[in-house]
Formats: sequence, C-alpha cells, structure tokens
Amino acid sequence: MTDIPKRQPSFALGRLGDLWIVLGTDRPLYAGAIAVQALAATFSYVVPLVPQAVIDGVFSAPGTRMGAMSAWIIEKLGGAEVVRADLWKPGVVIAVAAVAAGLLNVLRGWMTARAAQRSVRRLRERVHARLVRLPVPFFDANESGDLLQRATSDVDTVQNVLANQIAEMGRAILLLLIAIPLMFAIDWRMAIASTVLAIPVVAFAGLYFRTVSDRFRTKDEAEGRLTAKAQENIAGIRVVRAFGRQSFEREEFRERNAAHRDADVRLFDGLSQFWALSDVTCLAQILVVLVVGLTLVSGGSLGAGEFFFFLFATNMYIWPIRHLGRMLADLGKAAVATERLHAIMDPAAEDAGDEVRHEVRGEAAGGASRSASDNVPAHAVLPAGGIRFEGVRFAYPRGNTVLDGVDLTVGAGETVAIMGPSGCGKSTLAALLLRFHEPTSGRITIGGTDIRSLNRSLLRSRIASVLQPPFLYSRSIRENVAIVRPELPVAAIAEAADSAAIHDSVLRFQRGWETVIGERGITLSGGQRQRLAIARALVRDADILLLDDALSAVDGDTERRILNAMRARRGRVPTIVIAHRLSTLAEADRIVVMEHGRVIDHGTHAELIARDGLYKRLWAIQAELEDEERVAVASDGEAPR
Amino acid sequence: MNEVHDDLDAPAPGSISFGLWKRIIGTALEDRRSAVQLVGGGIGIAAIESARPLLNAAMIDEAIAHGMGERFMWLAGAWAVLALCFGAGVFLFIRAAGRISAGLAFTLRERAFARLQELQFGYFDRRPTGWLVSRVTSDCGKVSGIAPWVILDTFWATTIVSGSAACMLWLDWHVAVWMILLLPVLAALAVLFQSRLLKSSRLVRRTNSRITAFLSEGIAGVRTTKSLAREGAADAELAVLTTEMEVHSMRNSFQSAVFVPVVTSASFLGVAIALWRGGLRVETGEMSPGTLVALMQYALLFTWPIIDVSQRVVDLLSAQAAAERVQSLIDTVPTIHDSDAVRAQADDFNAARITRITFENVSFEYVAGEPVLSDFSLEARVGDTIAFVGPTGAGKSTVVNLAARFYEPTAGRILLDGVDMRERPLAWHQGRFGVVQQSPWLRNTSILENIRYGRLDATDEEVKAAAAAVGADSFVDGLEGGWGFVAGEAGERLSLGQRQLIALARAFLKDPDVFILDEATSSVDSETERTIQRAVDRVLAHRISFVIAHRLSTIRRATRIVMVDGGRIVESGTHAELMRARGKYHDLYAQQFVEMRERAVLDVHG
Repeated sequence: MTDIPKRQPSFALGRLGDLWIVLGTDRPLYAGAIAVQALAATFSYVVPLVPQAVIDGVFSAPGTRMGAMSAWIIEKLGGAEVVRADLWKPGVVIAVAAVAAGLLNVLRGWMTARAAQRSVRRLRERVHARLVRLPVPFFDANESGDLLQRATSDVDTVQNVLANQIAEMGRAILLLLIAIPLMFAIDWRMAIASTVLAIPVVAFAGLYFRTVSDRFRTKDEAEGRLTAKAQENIAGIRVVRAFGRQSFEREEFRERNAAHRDADVRLFDGLSQFWALSDVTCLAQILVVLVVGLTLVSGGSLGAGEFFFFLFATNMYIWPIRHLGRMLADLGKAAVATERLHAIMDPAAEDAGDEVRHEVRGEAAGGASRSASDNVPAHAVLPAGGIRFEGVRFAYPRGNTVLDGVDLTVGAGETVAIMGPSGCGKSTLAALLLRFHEPTSGRITIGGTDIRSLNRSLLRSRIASVLQPPFLYSRSIRENVAIVRPELPVAAIAEAADSAAIHDSVLRFQRGWETVIGERGITLSGGQRQRLAIARALVRDADILLLDDALSAVDGDTERRILNAMRARRGRVPTIVIAHRLSTLAEADRIVVMEHGRVIDHGTHAELIARDGLYKRLWAIQAELEDEERVAVASDGEAPR
Repeated sequence: MNEVHDDLDAPAPGSISFGLWKRIIGTALEDRRSAVQLVGGGIGIAAIESARPLLNAAMIDEAIAHGMGERFMWLAGAWAVLALCFGAGVFLFIRAAGRISAGLAFTLRERAFARLQELQFGYFDRRPTGWLVSRVTSDCGKVSGIAPWVILDTFWATTIVSGSAACMLWLDWHVAVWMILLLPVLAALAVLFQSRLLKSSRLVRRTNSRITAFLSEGIAGVRTTKSLAREGAADAELAVLTTEMEVHSMRNSFQSAVFVPVVTSASFLGVAIALWRGGLRVETGEMSPGTLVALMQYALLFTWPIIDVSQRVVDLLSAQAAAERVQSLIDTVPTIHDSDAVRAQADDFNAARITRITFENVSFEYVAGEPVLSDFSLEARVGDTIAFVGPTGAGKSTVVNLAARFYEPTAGRILLDGVDMRERPLAWHQGRFGVVQQSPWLRNTSILENIRYGRLDATDEEVKAAAAAVGADSFVDGLEGGWGFVAGEAGERLSLGQRQLIALARAFLKDPDVFILDEATSSVDSETERTIQRAVDRVLAHRISFVIAHRLSTIRRATRIVMVDGGRIVESGTHAELMRARGKYHDLYAQQFVEMRERAVLDVHG
C-alpha cells in the first residue's frame, strides 16, 4: 500500500494483456475453451430453431410463410408429413441438442478450469520464487502486510477472473454474437427489433456499476471503522472495566454500527434501482419483440414459428448480458491486481554475486542472471582465513550514514565481540557480512577474497548466523533446528540443542521434538526462541559464526554454558559476537567498541578495563551492585518514599 | 485468517440446524415493514413471472386469430404494466433485503458487543482478540448477509414453482404433467452439484489459507530464509501446496462453471417434452399455438428457482458455523455478575471507597487441577504500595486480577473493608480501580480524549492538569497538533514511554482507590525513565497500589515487596529486609540490577 495506492476498480484495462502472459503455455487450451463455448451456445439455439420449423412447417395452414432455415430443418426431419406423424422426432433433436450443449459446456468448463488453475499455480510459484529472491532493502522499503496482500489476494483476483469471470463474460457475449447472424438470417426486421435495447442494457449496467462502486467503498470504510472499534475495545477490555466505561464503549460502538448499517442500506438502495431499471429494460426488449413480431405475424410476413424463435432467443441472451457491466468492473479489478503484482515481479532479484569477477578456486558463479539460491555444490567452502572490513561505509538510500569507515579484522579462529550503544551500526556489520546490503564504499573480505565475488548462497550457507530477533518457522521444533539439514538424525539435533541449552526445555513440552511452534497456543519465551535459533545455527557445518545479540534473553548461567559448548563444538572458526552484556563480551578474544558508525576502541578485556570508556563503565556495574547491596542492608525499616 | 481457520477446522455441518436459524430469521423479521416488503415483492414478482407466458400466449393467439386489434393493444398494455410492476417489485424487495440484512447485522452486533462488555475475563483468556473481533464483525456480517435472501427465495421460489405449475396445468394438464415430472430431475441435479461445490470450496479455502500462512511466514522470515540460503527449499515447499491448490480449485471452478449451463440444458429437455406432447395436441386442434409457446417457456422458468433454492441451502450450511458462534456468544451468561441481593442495593455504594483489601487463603486455577495461586493471604491498606516480584508465570498477575475481580477465587475469599467482594456491586468495585498495563492501551483519539477517558466529565483544564501532574505534558507540545494529536491504532503513533505517561495521566485523573501498575519489562531512554518514575510515585501515593514491578526504583520504594513463586508467597518484607535475608529476592534483584545498568550504559531500548 506504500507506493501503489489501492485503487477502485476502474475501466483502465491496459494491464489486461498481463492475463494473457499469465496463461503462458495454456493459451491454446484457454482459446480452445472459448471455441467450445461458442459451439455450446450454437447448440443452445438449436433448441428454439426446431420448434420454429415445426410450428411453421407442420402446424401452420398450408401456404403460410416458411423461412429457408425452417424448410431445411423439416426436410432433414423427413418432410412435413413424417414430422406430423412422428412428433417425437423434433423432440429428440431438441433433446440431443440440449445434451450436446450440456456436454460441450462441461468440456468447456474443464478446459477453462485446467488452463486457469494451471496458470495460476505457475503464477503463485513465480511470485513466491521472486519474492524470496528480492534483495533485503526491498523488504525494508515495503510493508509486509502489503506484500502479503499482493502475493495472495491479488493472485486470487487473477484466478477468479481467469477461472470464472472471463468464462461468464464469454458466455454472455457469445450467446449474443451467435444469435445476431442467426436472427439476421431469419428476418432482418426482427433481428433489429430483438437487439435494439441490448446495447443500452450493457451500457447502463457498466455506467451504473461505476456509481455504485462508490457506495461499496463507503460501506467498506464504515466496516473498517466498526472493526477497528471492536478491536480496540476487546484489546483494552481490562481498562474499559477498570474505568467502568462499558456504556461509553457501547455508545461509541453503536454510532459506528449505525453508520455501517446506513451505508449498507444506501448500497442496497442503489442496487435496487439498478436491478429494477435493468429488469424493466430487459422486459421492454421482450415486449418490443412481442409487439413487433406479432404485428409481422398477423401481417403474414413472419411465420409464427419464426416469431417463437425470436421470443425464445431474446430470453436466452438478454438476461446474461445485463451482468456484463459488473463483469467489466471485475475486469477492472483484475487489471489493478496485475498492476499490483508488478511491484513484486518487476524489481531485480538478488544476483548470485559475481559483480567483481574474481577467480574463487573454480567456484566462480555463473551468469548474473543466476539467482541467489542456485544450488551450491555440497563441497563448496569459503576461502580460508579471517574476515576483514576495510574502510566500510554504509548509508541507507536517502538515509543517515550508519557506518562511517569501519576497519575491523577478525583473525582465522578468533572470537571478536562487538559492543556499542543502540544505533552505533553493529548489527549493520552483520547485515553487510551476509550481503543483505552492500557497503556504500569500502569492502569486506574473507581470506582476502572480496565477498562480492562470492556466490550469495555459498556465502550465507557457510556462515552460521543467529539474527535478532530470532525467527522460527511454524513447524515442529525438530524441523526448525534441522531446517537446513532435514536428513539429520535426532541424536545430532539433540546434541546441538544440548549445546544451545534448550534440550531439556524441549523434552518438557508435551510433544517434545514434534511440538509445533505457534500451534494451539504454543508460544516460546524470548530466551527459548534465541536458544533454538542457536541450535539451528549449530547443526550447520559452517566456516564462520555470527551471533547478533543472540543471548540477550537468556540468563547468565545458561549463557556461559552455551558459550562454552559452542567453543568446544566448533573448534576455532572466526566468530563475531554482537552483544551488550559484559558476561558475553568478556568471553571474547578481543572486544571492539563502536559508536556513531565507527570503531572507537578495541582490545582484550584486560586492556579495556584499564582505560576509561564504555567497556569500563560496564565493568563498573559489578562494583555498583556491591555498593547498592551495602546501602540496602544498612538502611533500616521503611524504604524512602 | 483466524476466522477462516475456525470455519475450516469445524467439520462440515451435515444438516441445517432449524432451531438456530429460526431464532436468527426471527430477529431478522423484527423489522416488520421491510419483512412485508420483502415477502410481498418476492411473491409479486414470482406471480408476474408465472403469469407472463400466459399473457404471451394470449397475445399470440389473439394476434393470430384476430390480428392487431384493440384487444391486442390492451393485452400489450397489460404486459407493459406488468413489466413496470415487476420493476417495482424488484426495487422493493432489494431495498427491503438491504434493510433487513443491515438491520440484522446491526442488532446481532449490538447484542454481541454488549455481551462482551459483561463477560468475565476467563472468557477473553482463552480467545485471542482477533478471534473475538471476527465474531462481532465477519460472523455477524456473514449471517446477516444471507438471511434476507433465504427468506426471499423461500417465498419467491415456492410461488414461482407452484404458480408456473398451476398455470401449466390450467393451460393443458395433459402436457403439464409430463413437464412437472422433470422438476425432481432438476432438483436432484442441483443438490448433486451444490453438495460437491460445498465440499470443494471448503478444500479450496483451506488450502488457500495454508498458502497465505506460508507466504506470510516467508515474508516475515525472509532474512532468516536468506541467511539459511534455503530459498529453493521454500519454493519446493510452496509447490506442494500450489499443486494441491490446483487440484482443488480445478474441481471447484469446473463444478461452478458447468452448474448453471448443465441445469439449463436439462431444462431444455422440458422444451422437448412440451413440443412432442404439445405438438400432438396442436395437431389435433386441442391446443392453440400460443399455448404451446407458453408451455415451452414454462419449461425454462423452473430453472432458476431450483438453482437459487439449492444455493440458499448451501449458504445456510456454510454460514451455520458463524451463526452458531454468534448466537452462543449472545447466549453466554457471564459467570461473574452481581447477585440479585447486590443488585437491589447497588445505588448505596456510589460514594463508598475501598480502603482495605484482604486476601484470605485465596486459591485460584485457570484450568482445573493446575493451581496458579495457592492459599494466598495478604492485606493492603490505603497508603500501601505492594510490589510483586518473581519469575514469569509465578502468579503475580493473577493476584492483581483477583483483586480487581477480573476473576473470582476458586477457594478462599477477598474482602473489601472486611466484606466479601461478592457482596458488593461489580461495576462499583471495578470502577474504583485504575490500571496501567505494560504496553498501555490507548484509544485512537486525541491525547486530550485519551486522558479524559479517566473521567468523562473532566474539563480540558482538569485533563491538562492531570497530564502536568505526571509530567505527560512535556512531550505533548512537540507533537503535531499538540493535545489534538491522534494516538493511532492502539496508540502506535506514540512511543512506549509516551503511552505509559498518558496512561498514568488517565489513571491520575480518575483518582482510583486501588491502582494496579504492570510495569513494562522493556526499558525506555533514561530521560523518559526518570519522568515515568516521578509519575508513578505521584500516582501510587495515598491509595492502595499493587505493582507488578520491574523497575528497581519502584521495587525499592514499595512499602512491601512480595516475592511470589509457584503461586505462593516465598518472601515478603521491605527491600532492606529482603536484601539482608540474601534469599531468592536478593539474587533476582542483583541480576536485574546488572541487566538494567548494562542497558542504561549502552542505551539499549527494547
């Protein structure tokens, strides 16, 4: 909703060509369905054509006018005498035509459904494939609710139009289009009389739906306000009770409820005018056929059977075509929906990452068109060695500078902790290392190789990372931990979970490893989520370990257990730990202090507590606690107020 | 999403629950005027539709026998009048249907909302907000959306089927009998299709909601998915769902695409029968050509009533779950309410204050057999600030919820100035409380109106004075529109600290006897922290205050600290006493102290 406003359905159908693109390889099937539809409509008209012939050729007084078509039909049925004797014959012809029309409609329905649903399946898959490969800045710039709506309800709209609307429209239009030549072949005067109001009916319906769509919108808005009130009230029910505001709330709700009711009534008033007027117009069309037709019949220039045909045919096409207005409005919606899908489909996907052509031990990524998730060979590894940030700057587009020239080295096997106040840019370092963003200038190397020359998937799959906030998928705990290595035996998963100090908590759940996160009210605490995310990172056989504030919600003892276990498990891979807790920081080989996008200090624990600065102030907290305890114990009786 | 899931998780109803719908339709028909218009319009147009082929026949026979004479013109005129009446009938019934559906929605929502204002908190605990909102909004909408059409089509279809049948029989019963035999065939076809459609559309919706959930998760977790380099795996997982979706929607859209044409084709068989049987009689001169034409038209007239009625049956079945939920919400009797004796003397309490709250061996369990509070005793008097500390889930919130009678004890009792609280009016009791939550609930109105919620008759000056008293006025000038600044949904346009200050001002304006503060676990910047602390001090004074405490300063200043663990009081006393004891409280305090200071040094919020 950010960049493309949600538009009302309009008649701007320019984007409808996209529907043709969506159909892809199913175009012949879909076009074939329309052809079958035409055939079915033709058979439908056999139904009134046969009685026409019978009435004019068999029942009427000899010498009555009989059209060429009727004469042909009577002849095919064996002549007037035969038909007169065997009246079941024309009945059978009608029955056969009716059944044929029915069967053709079934065939058409199957063809349309197959073409539409296959295309929509491909569309869904393409939208998803594109969505997960869009670069991270895209997700920073767009609201997730809006993206979700585009990926779901806009696709549903396309599906509905392809599967139902176009078929319905096709039926209405074909019924009219096939009737017109037939009618002109029988009698041009009656043909004109039978269609004179058809165009006004369609035009009126189209115009009218534009007006009524305003009322639809008003009603939707009123409903939105009503929902917002209910939501607000229920979410705040405790406060409502504590303030005794039940009647106030009911009054406010009633106002919006009444506004919604009134908007609904107005909408129906509009609809009642539309349907009443369009019904009267359709009936007027039938009356025209009756009066003109019977005038001609009594004048002897039109057969009674021919008149019957016009009356019957008019009844067949006039009612469906008045839906055309609404269908056109729906097509407008589809045009808007495909336009909205372009917001996902048009931006460039993340490339595989070979902007800087670089020989990486024969691992050079393919063409720029290769997407980030192209399979990485299982044996692929990152260049060995440490990580270097060299003069790295980063600013968001049209935003503040976040990193202002960071130089930082993490030696092979070294654990570096990064600390600093909120907004100092420490998490951005993690995002840059994972290539979620690209530095504005400067570069990041691993073992001397610029990471821009590394395949993104390779890079990310070789970095075991825990991001903040930790994200878990709504599937079982086992599947979450083993998500990158589903083949892993439970024993290996349990081992990783044990290192992350989550194993015991998992076993306490009723369904243990098979507990599904988010299902039936199963929620995990922040600490549990963090520990599962760590376990997930640990099952991965990685070259670099990256923890972004990954232990903030676990208590001190657990934290120490995890840090020790990780060290023991992983051997010594370069490790970056972003943290704000002294107990975490002190475990690192080296501590880097950041402020305002720069590294302002670094050194070992011993070095940093020897000089003034943020780190020393953290260290001083322990002493403050001891003071605090002394004061508390010394003070007597009542606490100061 | 929630609502979709509810519908889908419930098994498909096998049959229509008549008792339920009778009540709902009864409510819909309370608008007598519209009901008469609806039914009258429906019967009227059905009568006209049934009569039209008859009139056609008369015109045809007249034209053939006597030409375009005066009599023909009269018939044509009558036809035109009927067409206009038809339009009027359509106009009337749609208007009436709109009024009935809007009115029914209004009434159901009023009743459901009113009931929600009375229900005990236990009801809300087990039902997420979104779920409850759907009951009031979409469920009521769904039920009221179909009600008028069920009423209308019942009358319309009955009239048109019986009217056409009567006309046909009157025209020529020899032929009509044959054609009426087609009716059960059409009905069987419709039932066959509709029951399949009902099934397949449920499957489509279920799969669709799974796809939505998958995509939603994919967007929310896109960074994690990228960091795990499993985009391709996600594609494959989606493909399983989309393939399933293709199968179900293929079936569904096929069924719906062929439903109407197939029933129409079947009714063409009626035309064939009419031509065959009727033709024989025209031949022998027993029937006029006009009658034959009319009979063939009647053959088609059966189609729509059959389709519509089967559609309504499906509507009823698919809205039944929604109807049940709405009706059961309206019918739920609150478990916490005033006894008749209390109701009789409710007015005596308007001015009374609460000066002492006593917990006497109180136990409580949300779920039977899982006590969250056991044998809990405590007394608080005016001027007391009781700070509850302890691990998550220890029962701290339960204590304050019981004090506010959001719940009632399962054993033991709570006394207000020595009297069991169940002998006091609920509205009075809860009205004496002030509450400030962790993430305070604000209304989507101006700052001024949000604070005024504390006391509706407060003047602007009083509101501003309350804000000033807690220091909430400091940031208001910086906001666009100042006091008129609209807080946004749930107050989202304000920071957490600002929301807390507004909530404190609101409570201060109310001047409650008992104040409940659930302190935020996440911290705010140090400046705001100090302002909030001063505000809290101001609000807590001179009343009974219960604080679920996280701020060390609040804890230190409490007149009594109650350490709760496993639903029992494990330690209790002043800060100094408990620190000296070096027990659980001491450890908890030390841990929180370090945590808070670390965050403060690095200015970490959140």
